[in-house]
Amino acid sequence: MHDKRTQSGLPAKTPAILARLIVAIAVRQDRDAFAALFDHFAPRIKSFLMRSGVPAAAAEELAQDAMLTVWRKAAQYDPCRAGASAWIFTIARNLRIDSARREQCGKVLELEMVGDADPPSPPDAELLGAEREARVRAALRSLSDDQRRVVRLSFFEGKAHGDIAAELELPLGTVKSRIRLAMNRLRELLGDLT
Amino acid sequence: MNRHHPKNETLAEFAAGTLDEGRAVVVAAHLAMCGECRAVIAALEEAGGQMLDAIAPVAMSEGASERALARLDLASLDLARLDNEAAAPSARATASATHPVWQPEQKTLLGYDLGPWRWVAPGLHYRAVKTPADAARVFMLKAVPGLRIPQHRHTGTELTCVLAGAFIHEGGRYAAGDCDDADWEDGHSPVIDDGEECICLVAMQGQIKLTGVVGRLIQPLIRI
Repeated sequence: MHDKRTQSGLPAKTPAILARLIVAIAVRQDRDAFAALFDHFAPRIKSFLMRSGVPAAAAEELAQDAMLTVWRKAAQYDPCRAGASAWIFTIARNLRIDSARREQCGKVLELEMVGDADPPSPPDAELLGAEREARVRAALRSLSDDQRRVVRLSFFEGKAHGDIAAELELPLGTVKSRIRLAMNRLRELLGDLT
Repeated sequence: MNRHHPKNETLAEFAAGTLDEGRAVVVAAHLAMCGECRAVIAALEEAGGQMLDAIAPVAMSEGASERALARLDLASLDLARLDNEAAAPSARATASATHPVWQPEQKTLLGYDLGPWRWVAPGLHYRAVKTPADAARVFMLKAVPGLRIPQHRHTGTELTCVLAGAFIHEGGRYAAGDCDDADWEDGHSPVIDDGEECICLVAMQGQIKLTGVVGRLIQPLIRI
């Protein structure tokens, strides 16, 4: 499902290229790098938020906010610790939490990138980052289609188990056990990364 | 090394940002003290990033990219201010692999205000963690060594992270950093381990139901 070429006909951006673009913003406030990141991620963040139930106009605004956060926080990004897409996923996810909680007039618990409080990366961290990327990709691919579908709906799109059951026309118990099995399998496959 | 962790589904909901705020506070406390679960979260965030990459994009409106670039100049002006804020000490900002989230005399926990310690029963104190009303109720419990909590069960979910000391119940021994994410549907009866007082962070939905004969004598617990 990866588009091998972008709309402009340029080669698709690899994880390493995307990471370098964020670093370019951090190091020299590179506006071209920002524009390239915007072209890649803003339409994806908008799509991600719309699938999570955010209306199109609000999703567009939040995608703008997410990219502004990328510009502001670029210096905090550690390419050894997280892939560019993973880091930007956490930013989009936090905005989704914010917007959901604002509706409930709640206070916001900022979920920081988990690595934020960790000590600087050891020299072999870049290798670990690349390995994590490959291992996660393989782990996701190894799930059955049914498992991958419920993981996508619950974990990525943030849907409630009841809504997933209705959408897939499955009993709630089946949805719950599929999610549990899929998560246990992912944990098993990713086990020795931890 | 911690021996008791949140369930995989709980970690996944945390990483997805769909866990209710009350339980998210307890998981955040565990993560601060557990490198193993932080690695799981990092892997789940990587999975989220890969799903974001693979998603079918939805085109932004005309001129969106120019608008974003125009906002950058304003953002840069704000940067100096943000840097100053970042320099301020924060409960989370300790640069060690695992760190305690609770120190005596602390007035907040993970950024939340705390109520005063209140007496509940002999040897047992309770302190509210002020999360929004719609979330699971979050509170700290402080118990003296050797205290036996009467057998009880919960009508809703309960998620606990030990901040200091240890307790023992049907699931084993839970020491600082350990997380109890099991459904004790048939009830459980924790005993505080000898040595030091035990402080726990608890997110609870529903009510406590005391089940033992002794339990009924200790009505004050019901106030929790």
